Amino acid sequence: MIASIVLTLLAGGVPYYLLLERSGKFDSKTILLFSAFLLLCAVALTSVVPMRYEGLFATIALGSSLFSIYRAAKTTNFYKLGYHLIFINAPFFILFESFSAMYSLSLLVALLGLFIVARFYEQNYGSANYHHITGIMLATPYMGTFLTFYLITLSLYPPFPNALYFLSYMFKSTPDPLWYAVVIVVFFGNFYLAMRVMTETVFGKPNPNIHYVLMSVREKMTHAAVFALLFILGIYGVKEALL
Amino acid sequence: MSILKQLDAVKDTIPHYWPIGSFIHHNPLKGFEQMPFKEGLKAAQSVFGGQVYMDSAYFMARYREGKIDDTVFENNIRELLDKCALDIPLELAKRFLMDVSPQWNALRTKYAYKHEKIDYGLYLHLQQKTHYYNEARWLEHLVSHMTLYEINDALFGYGDKERVERQVIEFITRFLDEDQTTMQMPNRELGMFETFKIYAGLERSIDAESFVEEALNRLKVPNSQAYLLTHLLKLHGWAGFIKYRSEDPDYYAQQQYPSTLIDYMAIRLYYELEAVSTRRISDFERFETYAAAKPSHAIMQILKQKNKLMGPALDALEAGEKTETILCNYIENAINLDALQIQHSNDVLQSDLPLIELADILGKLKEEEGYLWLKSLEDSYILSFADEFAQASDTETVTADASATFCLDVRSEVIRRHIEHRGHYTTYGAGGFLGLPVAFVEFDKAHELFLAPAIVKPHNVVFEIPVESSDEYRSKKKVTKTTKKVLSDLKNNPYTPFITVEAIGWLFGINLFGKTFLPQKTQRLFSKMKPQKPKTTYTIDKLSDEKIENYVKKLHTKIIAKLLISTAGREFSDAQIESVRRHLLFGEPNSVALSEAVLNKLKSTYQITPEDYAYQKEKLGQVGFTLEEKVFYLNNYLTMIGQTDHFPEFVTIIGHGSVSDNNPFESALDCGACGGNISLPNARALCMIANQSEVRDALKKAHDITIADTTVFIPGLHITTTDEIKFYDTDLLDDDARKRFERIQLDFNAASAQARMERAQALPYTKTHHDIVTKSMDWSEPRPEWGLAKNMGAFAGPRSSVRHMKLDNRLFLHSYDWKIDNDNADILTRIFNGPLVVGEWINLEHYFSTVDNHIYGAGSKVYHNVVGKVGVFNGNYSDLKIGLPTQSVELEGEAYHEPVRLLTFMEAPLQKVLKAVENSIAKPFILNEWIRPVVIDREAGKIYSFEHGEFIVIKEI
Repeated sequence: MIASIVLTLLAGGVPYYLLLERSGKFDSKTILLFSAFLLLCAVALTSVVPMRYEGLFATIALGSSLFSIYRAAKTTNFYKLGYHLIFINAPFFILFESFSAMYSLSLLVALLGLFIVARFYEQNYGSANYHHITGIMLATPYMGTFLTFYLITLSLYPPFPNALYFLSYMFKSTPDPLWYAVVIVVFFGNFYLAMRVMTETVFGKPNPNIHYVLMSVREKMTHAAVFALLFILGIYGVKEALL
Repeated sequence: MSILKQLDAVKDTIPHYWPIGSFIHHNPLKGFEQMPFKEGLKAAQSVFGGQVYMDSAYFMARYREGKIDDTVFENNIRELLDKCALDIPLELAKRFLMDVSPQWNALRTKYAYKHEKIDYGLYLHLQQKTHYYNEARWLEHLVSHMTLYEINDALFGYGDKERVERQVIEFITRFLDEDQTTMQMPNRELGMFETFKIYAGLERSIDAESFVEEALNRLKVPNSQAYLLTHLLKLHGWAGFIKYRSEDPDYYAQQQYPSTLIDYMAIRLYYELEAVSTRRISDFERFETYAAAKPSHAIMQILKQKNKLMGPALDALEAGEKTETILCNYIENAINLDALQIQHSNDVLQSDLPLIELADILGKLKEEEGYLWLKSLEDSYILSFADEFAQASDTETVTADASATFCLDVRSEVIRRHIEHRGHYTTYGAGGFLGLPVAFVEFDKAHELFLAPAIVKPHNVVFEIPVESSDEYRSKKKVTKTTKKVLSDLKNNPYTPFITVEAIGWLFGINLFGKTFLPQKTQRLFSKMKPQKPKTTYTIDKLSDEKIENYVKKLHTKIIAKLLISTAGREFSDAQIESVRRHLLFGEPNSVALSEAVLNKLKSTYQITPEDYAYQKEKLGQVGFTLEEKVFYLNNYLTMIGQTDHFPEFVTIIGHGSVSDNNPFESALDCGACGGNISLPNARALCMIANQSEVRDALKKAHDITIADTTVFIPGLHITTTDEIKFYDTDLLDDDARKRFERIQLDFNAASAQARMERAQALPYTKTHHDIVTKSMDWSEPRPEWGLAKNMGAFAGPRSSVRHMKLDNRLFLHSYDWKIDNDNADILTRIFNGPLVVGEWINLEHYFSTVDNHIYGAGSKVYHNVVGKVGVFNGNYSDLKIGLPTQSVELEGEAYHEPVRLLTFMEAPLQKVLKAVENSIAKPFILNEWIRPVVIDREAGKIYSFEHGEFIVIKEI
């Protein structure tokens, strides 16, 4: 029971970001890093403490997930989107118990990519807000391509690892009403939010009011490394799905 | 002023859009041609937004390539500094334009988020100049081109715009459809708004104008004329198409299903009223009240909607901070960035000028730089051409073996040069319609094609008729037509596509894979299956009155007989049918007992009426040409190109067309002077006229032009994609002449091969002439030819002046000999009225599609879908895409077309040119510098360029 409560908290099963936001002491970047760290702890903890299915916690996490989808749809800041995505995926972590570690890991890697993009925006455009950075695929194609990869991964599109783990866990588990609710909410929540970002910042006409900054070689290499990680996780995901 | 008059006052802001089937290149800013070029572009920018010049980085690249001459550039800078009374050294202005301006935006934001010291004096100066502190004025400016639903969306995030535009597009695409869909909208013959009233369940008695007036009143629009323009601009492609249809009485679809801009406006306003009626701000008075109460909120939200808010302000808005504070920070930040931009610029410039003074100077230079760079590029080309023109030498006049007249189209230049190098040949250039406007009815087609510039309406109809049996053609055609119809119905019916794909989809794979991997062989295979048109001729002679009477009588008799048989179920005698016909047409007593219903059906459905009788007679009266007309057109043509003596044995007149596959923009690559059609019919008709002995006799008598009996006019077709030339009507040559002509054909074929090779070397992604041929039949090729891209100028004068120049298919070449022109410059005026107008449209279409393809172009072909057979739009629904696709003007994201105004070189005495300008319909755009006129006056030994309202000498010859 206690382990479940701890794991629910660590995995983002309750929207504690509300308290952090309200305190005014933490900016969105810190909340993202903090939430990601706690999720990482949860992943590590599952390898030590055996998890057990707790319907109540999964239901709480589902409520948190729905609320986070609503909140995420209101923001155009990558950092905020990042931590909302952690909370949106929490019921999956809790419901699918031992299967969820790899899924959460690939979620974290995709969020790492998103975080690097957000930091690039912050450094060059003053904030991680993407509302006005439109048409990056045309203006800065490298950035557009990497961001597209991350968003497609997050939107649970095959053959990227998140989708593969998601599918393989779906095939291996036994459905019940809560299962259906979680799968639907997590799948469509991720998909909707990722696609929303794509239409707003990746596609369309570049904004003539801003000066687009190209990525340096070092930044490209960093993204390539994240992409390589996702690729490795993807191969592992294929293996999982086939076995 | 009435609503219709208000609409008329603003409608010319949007350009015409011609249907894509006969794509007409046009100036998208035609409505601004009454203003000087620079002012016109500024005004257009304030309406459409976007760019009107290439950016300075583009021009810097041209400067580095040596295309912009340094002396020319410096002279233009000096002129600008004088004009603007800017007291700064030339070097400083030049360094700004070359080193600072290409990174202007970067200098504004480069260090924006690092703390830098802002010069306080500069800050105060910029603060004084800004309009940000007058919130009411700022807001008024921000919403100046916004509809009320857009304002609601911006303020409260409703998302109505998407819905309103989708509903409008959905209705008008269905209404304006020209047989693309198999399920057509009913009641369209009632007109656009009448149909819409049924569609939307509106009250039937109200007309479009009253509805618009009522809607504007309900919305409490403060300036209705400006608001009508705002609505026109929302989907200006569709609006442009409706405008075109409504102003062309000959447009068949318009005759069938009338639509007007006021109808369109009524539909838009209906959806707007529907959208805003339940919203917080349902009229402009409420908006004014809201804006007065919460100005900062309104400004911030509209700035956000227009993507003018930067990240920190967006975050603050999201966090729910007070908008007054955010606005203050926004203004402070904007002024800080403006100040930093000046400071960073000065870091590069190292000027001693006070920053305040520098700010004003740089602001002015930035405002003028687009035009300055453009003019410098154009001036550099003009001077370089002027040098080359000066080197021309008069060639000896001897009779050639053959002459060839091509369209003045830029794509004829290379092949003309190669033909001239092959032997004793002279070539000419003329507007593709050859000064012979015809309404052409192709064999086996029912509709007329207007083969003339879009501004000219032909009055003579030419039919193409077979001279040999067409049975085989008709039987094959019937099979093909039936197959196509079945496939089209299966494809477009909502219920059948799935099963069609499953059942016969694989059949299309043969074509698909064949075209992809073996395009030439596949093309050969399928062309064998296509019905081959029999040999044809044209009806160039007028019909006699008796013949006309007979044809109309035959037509009406046939219709009456058919209906009477089908209704009565028995045969009627010829006398009875004639009696019915005379009764219907002339009101004579009817000897046949027929019901009123049958008579009414003949009148209303089959149009057997006195009016139709007169109309049919009038139409048939337009078929062919009178002898006077033939002589008039032939004389016009010959004098226009200066071919009035020394006629060779073979005078070839070669039209042109383009061949490509899977290309909705195909007609954009055909002849612009023939309304986006192939210009072969004009060439054939003119040759037939010129070969008639009575025409030659009359020509000699009336105009003293002698064409020897041995001279034969032979029409041809130049395929601009592959540079192949095919000749027609050669069967009128005798055996000896045919042998001689075959030798000439061999030379022309060799010239074609050389031209292909030259183009293969010059064009991207082609190496051999085989690549060029393959492009014309490759279904996946987005650029079957680069067509008119890189067009930059026009030349009207004798060929001898440019024969020595390699022009790389970049100039429109019109032959003209001022010596045979009269004092009123009638010939030159005709060239201005037709070919020059077409040249300007083509040139400016390319110009604007290149400088801002989002606004003036059609975007990428990749996303295009053909809609209603009238144009293309992006994806499922969008505005009708005007202009050219990116693939026609760009290469790998960079401009392939070089956007400059048409450099128009005219070889004639200055006085003659001035006379022609004065008489021409092209006068406004010539004098307003939408082209760059240059006069080569060999008599005076001077070359003039038109600048600032006068011709100035730029070179002595």
